[in-house]
Amino acid sequence: MLSVANLTKAYNGVTVLTVPELHLLPGIHYFRGGNGSGKTTFFRTVAGLLPFSGTVLLENQYEINRDPVAYRMRVNYAEAEPVYPTFLTARDLTSFVGKAKQSPAGQVDALAELLGVDTFWTKPTGQFSSGMLKKLSLLLAMLGTPRLVLLDEPLSTLDVATAARLFDYIGNLRREQDTSFLLTSHQDVSLTGLDITGTWQVSQGVVTPAL
Amino acid sequence: MMVMLALLNRVFTGPFYARNAGTFLVLVLLAFGFLSANEHRALIMAALGSPFFLAIVFVLWGLYLLKTVSFVWQELHAPEHLFLQTFWLVSTPKRVVLWLTVQTALLFPVLLYGGWMLQIAVQQGWWNLFGAILIFLLLLIGAGALLADFRLRHPNPDTLRLPHVSIKLPYELFFPTYWLRHEPLSLVLTKAFSGLLLAGVCRLYPTDDYDQRLLLIGLLIAILGHAQVGGQVSAFERKYLLLLPNLPLSWVQRLGRYALTYGLLWLPELLILLRNCPEAIRLDYVIWLWLSGWGWLLLMHSMAYGYEVLPERWLSGIIAAFVVGLLLIMFGLPVGVWLVLGWLGAVVVWYWSFGRRNGTEVTVPQ
Repeated sequence: MLSVANLTKAYNGVTVLTVPELHLLPGIHYFRGGNGSGKTTFFRTVAGLLPFSGTVLLENQYEINRDPVAYRMRVNYAEAEPVYPTFLTARDLTSFVGKAKQSPAGQVDALAELLGVDTFWTKPTGQFSSGMLKKLSLLLAMLGTPRLVLLDEPLSTLDVATAARLFDYIGNLRREQDTSFLLTSHQDVSLTGLDITGTWQVSQGVVTPAL
Repeated sequence: MMVMLALLNRVFTGPFYARNAGTFLVLVLLAFGFLSANEHRALIMAALGSPFFLAIVFVLWGLYLLKTVSFVWQELHAPEHLFLQTFWLVSTPKRVVLWLTVQTALLFPVLLYGGWMLQIAVQQGWWNLFGAILIFLLLLIGAGALLADFRLRHPNPDTLRLPHVSIKLPYELFFPTYWLRHEPLSLVLTKAFSGLLLAGVCRLYPTDDYDQRLLLIGLLIAILGHAQVGGQVSAFERKYLLLLPNLPLSWVQRLGRYALTYGLLWLPELLILLRNCPEAIRLDYVIWLWLSGWGWLLLMHSMAYGYEVLPERWLSGIIAAFVVGLLLIMFGLPVGVWLVLGWLGAVVVWYWSFGRRNGTEVTVPQ
C-alpha cells in the first residue's frame, strides 16, 4: 500500500529521520515511540507537509513528488495538536478542505454528526476546547475518499464516546472501502478495538518493526 | 528578578529588534546616510523652536510606541507564550518595574534621539522644552508598561474585537481577515501609506509638466510598501494552516488563490486611482497601472512565500528593487512591460519554487 525508500529528513543540516526502506501492507498500522522519536515528522513527511529526500509511493502508482495532486487526493492527515485561525469556524474549514478533497455529497454532514462537530458548527475555533479542535481535525482528515489516513495521536483529548464512534467508523472504512490507516498513540491502542495489521517502533528517527 | 527580566527580554526585546531589523536599517540609512550630524542638530533646533514641529516629533514617537505595544500584545497572545500568564502572579510593584524596564529597552531608539534633544535643550537653556520632552518620554515608557500589563491582566482572543459574522468565509479571505483582526496596525499603516501616496501622486500630477513616469514611481513605492505582506501570509499559513500542503491543489490552483487574495488586498488602490485619476491620464492607463501593481504584489509573494528570509537580506532586495525600478522608469520602460514582467515573474518564480518538484513544498517549523 505504501512504500518508502531512501527517505531522509533533516532540519538545518541535522538528520532527524532516516527510512532506508519500508513497505506497509493495506491495513491499520500502529507507530509507537517516545516523545521526540520522529513519529510526527514521519507522518508529516508522508502527508506531504515537509520537504525531504527519497521516494514515497502509494499503491505502487502515486509518487508524492511526481504526482503531487493525485497523491494528496488519496492521503489525508490529522495533526496531534491542531491549531487553526481563531476567527474561522468548522464550517469555513470543512468547506475549503472538503472542496479541495472532493468530498462526496452528504459526507461533511454525516461526519460532523458522527464526531459531534455539528454542535459547534458556526462557532469560531478560538472558542474551541482542545477536544473540539481535535474533533475538527479528525473530521478534516476523513474528507474525500482517501486511500490512506494518517492519525497522529487521535486518542488524545478526545472524549470516550466520540472515540468509540470514531474507531467504529475507521473499522467500517477499513472493511468496506479498504482504506488504510497509520496511527500513533501514547495510550493503549488495543482499547480502540481495531484490528492492527502491523506495529512499528520509531526511535531516534529510525523506523523498525516492533518485536 | 534578573532571571525574569532576562526571560522577558528574550521574549519581547530581542525578537522585536530582530523582526524590525530591516525597518531600523532603512531608518538609519535614511537618517544618517542623507543627513550629517550638523543637519540633525539643525533639525532638532528647528523642532525645539517650533511647537508644531515638536508636536510632529511627539506624534512620530507615539506611533513608535504603538508599534511596540502592538508587538507586546501580539506576543502575549501567541500560544507559545501562554506560560507568561503566570507573570500575573508576580507582585504588582515588581511587575510594573519589569514592564518599565522592558518598555525602556523597546523604546531605546526613541530615548536615544530624545536624549540628544534633551542635551541640546540643556545647552540652549530651554528648560521648559527640556521638561516637556522629558515628561513625554517618561509618559511613553509608562504608557507602554501600563498597556502591556493591561493586556496581561485582560487576555482576550482577538486583538481587535470585531463582531463575528456568521457567513461562510472562503479561503481567499482567510488572510485578509487575519490581518484585520490580529495585525490591524500593520494593515492600517500599509494601506494608509500606499493609499495616501497614490492619491498624493495623482493630485501632484496636474501641478507641473509631469509625465506618466511619476505615476509609475508612485506605484513602485506603493508596491514596495507592501513588501512584508508575502512574509506575513507565509507566517500565518505556517502557523495556523498546517494542513494546506496536504491539500490536492496544483501549483496553478494555489497561485490562483493567492492572486485572488492579493487582488482583494489591492482593490482599495484601484478605487483611489480611479477617484484621483488626473484628467490628462486616460482611464485605461490607470487600469493597466493597477493591474501591474497586482502582478508585482504577486511576484513579491512568490519570492517570499515559504522561505525564512532574513530581514536584512529582504531589505537589501527591496532597496535594490527600488533603485533598479526607478532607473528603468526614468529610462521610459512603459507600463505594459511592467505588467508583463510582474505577472510573468510571479508565475515563473512560483513554478520554480513550488511547481517543479511537488508543487506544495513549504518549510514547516519543526
